[in-house]
Amino acid sequence: MAQTNPPFLTGVPELLVLRMLSGREMYGYEIVKAMRLVTQEAIGFGEGVIYPVLHALEEGGALRARRKSVNGRERVYYAVTTKGKRRLEHLSDEWKRVSSGVNSALNGANGDPEHA
Amino acid sequence: MRDRQLESLRLELLKGGVIPFYVERTIAELGEHYADLESVALARGLTAEEAARVASNALGNERAIVAAILARPELLTFSRRWPRVANCLNSAAAIGTLPGLPLLYCIEHRPELARWGAAVSIAATLMGSVLAVLNWLIVLPY
Repeated sequence: MAQTNPPFLTGVPELLVLRMLSGREMYGYEIVKAMRLVTQEAIGFGEGVIYPVLHALEEGGALRARRKSVNGRERVYYAVTTKGKRRLEHLSDEWKRVSSGVNSALNGANGDPEHA
Repeated sequence: MRDRQLESLRLELLKGGVIPFYVERTIAELGEHYADLESVALARGLTAEEAARVASNALGNERAIVAAILARPELLTFSRRWPRVANCLNSAAAIGTLPGLPLLYCIEHRPELARWGAAVSIAATLMGSVLAVLNWLIVLPY
């Protein structure tokens, strides 16, 4: 095994949020809608928990937030920073590496050295 | 989320040591998110009561949201993230400030100190004058 991978266990929400925001800036409700759409509602979660993910990414410098008034509503729009793009690349690579390992396990490899 | 729930959430987050900036941001964003969910449900033809219930369910319960926020150390205040370091720094700051406290007190209470100083000066002058007069008047018998 190349290395242990804590971000794999904890980084999925970050990966999805950064991916959603890589195209354009969005506010929380929009991000959740986009996530539900692209994942075909495969991931279920209370929508309110998106905000700690956004705020933690902002605090870490991966996102930039700005307030914008739209149709009389005060929205906080989030956009990916350069640091966020690098983090997205890193998390995507990690996810592909780990998921390919899991896929290969599901597609036949059973860990028995005699059958390898 | 209704105002009462948001207020309760705000208190929970502040008690939990979340940075106040993020507490206020979270409350505002959850309020907007709830309003979006509710308006979509109403547009689907649900009654106001049903729409409120659907919006609350979609947003998730208060306890789950608080737990998700408190699980992010980067959103907590310095003293909550590193309590021992914060205690040491507070103690050091208190010890460092102690010598300056009398000076700060004097600056803070300038008018009172000026009055007190003037009163003491007048009293000392009067007393000195009385003693000087007595000294001049009293003649010892030897």
